[in-house]
Amino acid sequence: MILFVSLAVGAGLLVGLSRQLNGRLALSTSAMESSFWNHIVGLAFVSVLALTIGGLFEGAPMEAPWWAYLGGPIGFMFIAAGSWAINRIGAAQTAMLIIAGQMISSVLLDAAMGISGSIWARTLGVALILGGMWVTRTAKAKS
Amino acid sequence: MTEKPEPRLIHFLGAFGAGCLITLMLLTNGTLAQYGSLMFSSWVPHLTGTALALVILLVLRPARTSPKRPPLWAYLGGVSGGLTVIATSAAMNSALALSGTIALGLAGQIVFSLFADARGLFGLPQRMPKWRDFAGLGLIVAGALVIIFFGGAV
Repeated sequence: MILFVSLAVGAGLLVGLSRQLNGRLALSTSAMESSFWNHIVGLAFVSVLALTIGGLFEGAPMEAPWWAYLGGPIGFMFIAAGSWAINRIGAAQTAMLIIAGQMISSVLLDAAMGISGSIWARTLGVALILGGMWVTRTAKAKS
Repeated sequence: MTEKPEPRLIHFLGAFGAGCLITLMLLTNGTLAQYGSLMFSSWVPHLTGTALALVILLVLRPARTSPKRPPLWAYLGGVSGGLTVIATSAAMNSALALSGTIALGLAGQIVFSLFADARGLFGLPQRMPKWRDFAGLGLIVAGALVIIFFGGAV
């Protein structure tokens, strides 16, 4: 269990590390170029891994709906936005706003797709997150 | 690194919007993983993302902000991203499940970002988090945990 907890925490550390490195690259190049390098280096890495482990085309990937293939363009915008923001508001605020955006949009998406869940918990969660964003935002606006 | 740009609302909206993009990515890549292998669901977005990035760089030709070359290690963000996928999928298939994995991942991300800011890690601007940052962070984490564990979401 300690192994899996470490892996889960480690995944979070790696997300932060990745954003920090991409942010550093954007500092000398541009947010868009940084996102390009992130994707092409990641592609090389995953390709080598896929060749080593195998099974890349297992299953029926061609039967997936067309829109499931749009994760790449979305990811490009995501990395570019993160690299852009981290150099302007810092790593901590970038991380917390990304988390806020992810949580609130996932609640909205679940509601739109009619996925059942506790309405009070979702409302309370969104309210806490909006409160957190407001506290952070007013702190920066005055300083 | 010379001067810190003043944080503006647009920066906050940009980071918030990036978070909304993650939800869409989880939907697209998760759907892909239902039909193909887990590896495929990471490989495809890297491939199509690289293709779009190439087109954008060729068309827009964004100028480099500095004539100095960035250090080579700054190009390794993609490797860290690729490792994230492996660590996440391994943890997700344990007793932690998706909700536990995401919650612990948020913790890791926040600890790293606070440390990175305080030290100016990897040549990014150094900034000491203020108490209001911690207050905001606490509220956002609390809200995220309520949604993850009680909202039936994610």
